[in-house]
Amino acid sequence: MATDSLRIYTSAKWQKAFERLNGAEPGIQGLLSFSEAWQIASNFLYPRDINDPGSLKSQDMQRVRAAFDLVGKSRMLSMLLDKFLEDMRRQQYLVERDVHRYMAEYESAGKAEAIMQLIFRLVAWYNAWKPINELGPTILSAYTLAFQTHIFSIFPPSFSRGFKQLIASTFDLVSASSPPPWAIPRDLPPTEQPPRPDYMLWMSCETLGLLERYESLISSVCYEHIEAHVHETCAKKWDEPMLPKLRDWMTEKIVPWMIMPYARGARSADEARAMLQGVGSRFDYHVCKTLCDLRIQEIFDIIIDYPDSQSALQDLKVASSRPGLDDINVIVDRVRRRLQECLQRVDQRSQLVITLRKANKKRLLHPGADTKVILAQYVSIIRCLRIIDPPGVLLYKVADPIRKYLRGRADTIRCIVASLVGDGESGDSLVDENEPIQPLQQMQADDYTDPNWEPEPIDAGPDFRTNKPSDVISTLVSIYDSKDLFVKELQVLLTQRLLAVKDGNYERERRNIEILKIRFGEAALQVCEVMLRDMTDSRRIDQHVQAQKPMPLHPTIISKHFWPPLQTNSFTMPGQFREIQESYAREYHLFKPDKKLHWLSHLGTIKLEIELQDRTISEEVPPLEASIVELFSQKDTWTVDQLVTEFKSVEKTAILKALTTWVDLGVLKEEESDRYKLLEVAEAVPSRSKAPARSAPVVEETTHTLSAQQQQAEQMKVFWKFIEGMLTNLGTLPLARIQAMLKFAPGYDRTIEQLAEFMEAARREGLVQVKDGMWKLCR
Amino acid sequence: MDQIMSSLAPRGAASGNKPAGGGAGAESAGSVTKRLSNELMTLMMSSSPGISAFPRSDANLFDWVGTIEGPAGTVYAGLKFKISILFPANYPMSPPAIKFDSPCYHPNVDINGGGICLDILQDKWSAVYSVQTILLSLQSLLGEPNNASPLNPDAAAIWDSPEQFKVQLMKYYRPVVDEAEA
Repeated sequence: MATDSLRIYTSAKWQKAFERLNGAEPGIQGLLSFSEAWQIASNFLYPRDINDPGSLKSQDMQRVRAAFDLVGKSRMLSMLLDKFLEDMRRQQYLVERDVHRYMAEYESAGKAEAIMQLIFRLVAWYNAWKPINELGPTILSAYTLAFQTHIFSIFPPSFSRGFKQLIASTFDLVSASSPPPWAIPRDLPPTEQPPRPDYMLWMSCETLGLLERYESLISSVCYEHIEAHVHETCAKKWDEPMLPKLRDWMTEKIVPWMIMPYARGARSADEARAMLQGVGSRFDYHVCKTLCDLRIQEIFDIIIDYPDSQSALQDLKVASSRPGLDDINVIVDRVRRRLQECLQRVDQRSQLVITLRKANKKRLLHPGADTKVILAQYVSIIRCLRIIDPPGVLLYKVADPIRKYLRGRADTIRCIVASLVGDGESGDSLVDENEPIQPLQQMQADDYTDPNWEPEPIDAGPDFRTNKPSDVISTLVSIYDSKDLFVKELQVLLTQRLLAVKDGNYERERRNIEILKIRFGEAALQVCEVMLRDMTDSRRIDQHVQAQKPMPLHPTIISKHFWPPLQTNSFTMPGQFREIQESYAREYHLFKPDKKLHWLSHLGTIKLEIELQDRTISEEVPPLEASIVELFSQKDTWTVDQLVTEFKSVEKTAILKALTTWVDLGVLKEEESDRYKLLEVAEAVPSRSKAPARSAPVVEETTHTLSAQQQQAEQMKVFWKFIEGMLTNLGTLPLARIQAMLKFAPGYDRTIEQLAEFMEAARREGLVQVKDGMWKLCR
Repeated sequence: MDQIMSSLAPRGAASGNKPAGGGAGAESAGSVTKRLSNELMTLMMSSSPGISAFPRSDANLFDWVGTIEGPAGTVYAGLKFKISILFPANYPMSPPAIKFDSPCYHPNVDINGGGICLDILQDKWSAVYSVQTILLSLQSLLGEPNNASPLNPDAAAIWDSPEQFKVQLMKYYRPVVDEAEA
């Protein structure tokens, strides 16, 4: 029967189990002693309530050890452990009660101290329940795991918040001279001082396994701490390099702090260093990155503050540069160097470009900004970005929208040219006085024989052109495709300045032109040279003419072909003025028989004395005013219409303005509307006004400036000349040929439709005629 | 712009033309086209009365057509002459080749080929001359011929009798007509 074999098997098992427990003892003696030992051991291990002083362990350790020995020998330790863990589970409510108590305290007060107390309390629980070391590491780790699993499961969600707060407070703790009372457990004997103020805290956390579990939280606390510090110390502080200071701060504050959470176990300084290596470089990187982010946010203002903000740019350069060739050394060194000297780098270049472009668009490139301001900021950007990134890739990316925008502004060239000649009014010039004057630099192809050649940076776009560090003026001039425009504008500006000079001192202008010659080359400035010579020649000729026949007229004689078009609304001066002009012209003709004077009577000033019956008025006025008062010396009363007929080419408004001048001076009086009468108190005829006249062209603000529309028309005039030229020489042409041939005209960018419109307009003017689609000139 | 222009240079002109003058090799086709476009611009803007010139087509900047009106007060007054101007590849180191396309009865002009005897177009050439100066010289040459070295001895012989000269001149003269109609 099976029962027999079962019985035999069971009895054999029983016998074996019995022998294991009873050992070699006679009878059940062994069994009894095992039973006792089990009792003692399990009693010893039983997790007690530490709040109950009576339950404290007071067993005889000798007996306990013997009991454990016996249990161990009987291979019943695992059973004992199971029982212990089961007991622990039953007693867990005791711990839970404490956790809830402290957490409630924390939640009501919001102070990290409560969390600290909780941790200490948990450590006390942990130590109280800990099996003795003799039981071996297996049991100890099983216990630790069970204990930690349990406490982690009962932490409320607010614990991590509190823990974070607690960790954050350790930054202050580490530098405290002695630990505050809350940072040491209550039951610590006063003789046993911890080696560091935060020592107990970290060790307790370590015991409970909190450091492992909340590792990312701890590092995030450190990151936040770093960010807060960087923002607090570095924001808006651009006048000194902050990065070294931050590194010092890291060395002094953060590294000592880091030793506890990251290098507790280190036995020597070297070991600690090795342990801190990885996390340390992460934090250093974070310092760089935070500073970088901050500076990038501030970049626009930093640039405005340039050059006072140079240090901030240096920081940004160091903190933002990408690892390049020279960084291999840095990486090699990094292993050797002390952690805090390690250079972690942040790749933030694209961020910088995006931020700066956005800031420029928002704050700079809008109609409210003065062109001068934009140019100044652009120059600052050039200088600043050259510090950060010498190859100029960043500059290229940032500058592109600015250049495009400037190209669209009508007065950009004017502003640049004004700063070229160091216009006194503009205050600080764009050009650095100390920068050596050098010729304009053209974009150059790569020099393939250059031994120091380096490839373009990886973030350079396909359209990036290596912009060798060139001076600011070259960069500004290169906004436009050709420098011809600048030379033209220079002439216009020079015209204004030369005509405004009254004392005959042209040294300043000469100096300017010499400087500009270096920049633009001799040939481009030939015209300016002629203009300048005209001025000096005028004085010489005038001296000669005056020597022949003294005259009250001192003209400026300009060579028409070399001067930019002056406004030509000239008029013939009446009366004595005309006589003077004519007699001067005669003298001049004697001196220079091959030349003829063409008077620009509307320019210049006349100093005259008007002798009236009862008073003499001495005044310096523009020629038109003088001419009008001269007419009044012929006839007492004039209507505006009569005057308009008298000066054929002068606009009515100008005449009215001139009349008003005399009315203001009390010379004329508006009798009735549009009718003026010479005002003589004593009704006497005014004696002929004696006029020591000096006619040097005076420049009003608007005199020579052609508006954008006028410029457009001027340009069309140029194209018309070309059309005229080709039709003269080639006879009749179809529209498509004209369009094709117009590519010889510089700057021609019209479409054929626009050309057709233009030709149609010319036809209406009677300049051309068209037959079967062939255009020809009318003659 | 330079690149566009240099493609306009005649291929033959760049390589095959006579290598005249010392610095001929130094001038590249690019700088020649640049110079020619500048001259064209200057000429267009100068508005000198009675002279004009323009490239024959948009494909070749080295071949121009010019028009000269006879100066007032001379037998040529009111007459118009077409000339052709061919620039060498090393212009302005060498002078352009210029000839009259319209028949021109003149002591210094070949009545058949249109060749011109003018010192500045031969040995007196200098790089500072330009199309404009050449055209002006030709215009003044019409009124003031150099009878000492005539290409057309008959014309030189009768220069001093304007009546007779005018008759001969008008015998050869053909008014300029537009190409399309011709």
